[in-house]
Amino acid sequence: MSSLTLGIAILIISAAYFFVANRASSSQRAAGTKFHSLPHYYGLYAALLAFLPAFAILLVLAIGDDLVFRSLALDFVPDEVKASKNYKEVIVMAQITNVVDGINFGEQPDWVYAAAEAWKGWDATSTTLRTILVISLSLLGGMFAYRQVNPGFRSRNAVERIIMTILAASSAIAILTTIGIVFSVIFESLRFFALVPVSEFLFGTTWNPQFEGAERAGSGQMGLATYGSVPLFAGTFLISIVALTVSVPVGLFSAIYLSEYATPKVRAVVKPVMELLAGVPTVVYGFFAALTVAPFIRSTGMSLGLDVASESALAAGLVMGIMIIPFVSSLSDDVINAVPQALRDAAYGLGSTHSETVRQVVLPAALPGVVASILLAVSRAVGETMIVVMAAGLAANLSFNPLDAVTTVTSQIVTILVGDQEFESAKTLSAFALALTLIVITLGLNFVALQIVKKYREQYE
Amino acid sequence: MNSADQSHNFATAGLPAETVGDVHVDHPRMTARNVDVFYGDKQAIDNVTLDIGEKQVISFIGPSGCGKSTFLRCLNRMNDTIDICRITGEIALDGQNIYDPKIDVVPLRARVGMVFQKPNPFPKSIFDNVAYGPRIHGIATSKDELNDIVESSLERAGLWNEVKDRLHQPGTGLSGGQQQRLCIARAIAVSPEVILMDEPCSALDPIATAKIEELIAELSSEYTIVIVTHSMQQAARVSQRTAYFHLGKLVEVGNTDQIFTNPQHEMTNNYITGRFG
Repeated sequence: MSSLTLGIAILIISAAYFFVANRASSSQRAAGTKFHSLPHYYGLYAALLAFLPAFAILLVLAIGDDLVFRSLALDFVPDEVKASKNYKEVIVMAQITNVVDGINFGEQPDWVYAAAEAWKGWDATSTTLRTILVISLSLLGGMFAYRQVNPGFRSRNAVERIIMTILAASSAIAILTTIGIVFSVIFESLRFFALVPVSEFLFGTTWNPQFEGAERAGSGQMGLATYGSVPLFAGTFLISIVALTVSVPVGLFSAIYLSEYATPKVRAVVKPVMELLAGVPTVVYGFFAALTVAPFIRSTGMSLGLDVASESALAAGLVMGIMIIPFVSSLSDDVINAVPQALRDAAYGLGSTHSETVRQVVLPAALPGVVASILLAVSRAVGETMIVVMAAGLAANLSFNPLDAVTTVTSQIVTILVGDQEFESAKTLSAFALALTLIVITLGLNFVALQIVKKYREQYE
Repeated sequence: MNSADQSHNFATAGLPAETVGDVHVDHPRMTARNVDVFYGDKQAIDNVTLDIGEKQVISFIGPSGCGKSTFLRCLNRMNDTIDICRITGEIALDGQNIYDPKIDVVPLRARVGMVFQKPNPFPKSIFDNVAYGPRIHGIATSKDELNDIVESSLERAGLWNEVKDRLHQPGTGLSGGQQQRLCIARAIAVSPEVILMDEPCSALDPIATAKIEELIAELSSEYTIVIVTHSMQQAARVSQRTAYFHLGKLVEVGNTDQIFTNPQHEMTNNYITGRFG
């Protein structure tokens, strides 16, 4: 049976157990026995026990059997092949699995066919075993629960514990995925740092990645490849600063307007409309920046006698600033609203004007939350990709002039990983090192934001 | 909706057509004449006329929802912050109608200070809490003067000895009773003429309550105080006059002794003796 049919099968078994256990309990109840829990809890308990362990095993086997087969298949590879210089395990595996899947590219050596035959055999055995294991586990689990249908068993509490476990497992998935992403980036970065020294990467001021092939052929356009990431981070921060100079004042002021001055009717319209800004795909912002804002800045600059690159940090930063306005305004609006009315009353009661109340009482009380919202906006700006790819240029200039074309960490990662690439080269691997540094920075910012939010909670209680 | 319809919102049975007792005093600081208050279509205060005597404590008592807090908040126009609230009639401070369009509400609120039900110190230091009012109104001309105002306000609120060594710690770190006395100090720092107190002890324990009551007695030699309270014992202890509100009407007003020993109206009598409320 395939995994899908197996899944459906255990669902049916669970449903059956639900009815059986439910019926058993309710009929005894009707006969006058006092049960600890309501009948459907006994049914639910049986259904959960019939489903969950079997489903977990099914998942593990679906992922795990391939790994076992791979290590087994390696035994078929002759020693002389393993010893040869160009031996790559990935390629051998691809040869074997292609034959298993019936895809043939020319004639393969005999051992490949032997391995493929064996693989098919294991596959069949594994499927049979899996079917038996999963179905019987489901039946046994349900049976175990069904035998516990007695007045003393506290199925309601048991179901509560199972639900808690499911909820905890769900949050574990999010955490494990994050850890997984970080580790995969770390491992690739380590490979990169084996080729390029950490100090060069962190402190070098020239970013000039080249394919090793091009370098070996002597056709490197600008000499040797260098991987100094300083210009990229400088570009990222330049654009982020431009974006924040736009979004923080505008976002904060509109939050103050919305929460303190606007009538409920205005607020009901304006707030969702502003949040629409966050729903515009970043690629749309990107071409708005590249096709409308950048030429406008360039022509304005020219008329003022300034030398403006056609793709400038200013264009990308301005548009990115517009994009993150809702992040600042929406979050700030929430924290400003959370400031107790009692504090405003106190200020009015002492004869403060509206704006004095906002400036001297409401904002100071909301400040930690406002700062946290700004830091979240910073994380957003630092990680933003599409706008900068389209509007900021790709030249890794080390410049703090917002009228120059600069590049950012994220847009370099995109250019490095788009298209054909040679995986073992320092150029490709450098993307992971950049990603790792970016993750560390954003995690750091989020951590700071969280600390501030935590402090904020203790503020006025 | 005309006023005849609105009066149906009230269970008017037993309510007097006119307030029992003498609503006037010899030296009024504030005077309210025929005051009606509406929240949207709902009438919260119905034709209240009352004088508030200078350097006297008057307490407003009555069952929940009787309008005593609403009336209190009219006295310094705190109800202005509620959009749907509408007030008719006249309330005057020293003979001047405070709802006159020419009156600026900001200095009015400095003259008629307010202490709220729940202690609400700003999340600032104790010093800054008290200095807030003098700062926004430019009362102190020098740093020394500001220090003096803060010290004397805290002293008059009976808090100075407890906080003088930690003036720069947050006011929110004080106990509930201390916070409420801090709020009183904050209110008197702007030298108001009238202090409104909206159930100032309802969130406090008996010992803190006793301290606040003592303080009110002391302050009454200098200030005109209006206090809303749910505790009849408190009204009896701190106030010279008592006004009994019921369903938006001022039922009876008189000297506190007389209200508690010899109430004229049956509803006042029922409330005082605990038959409802």
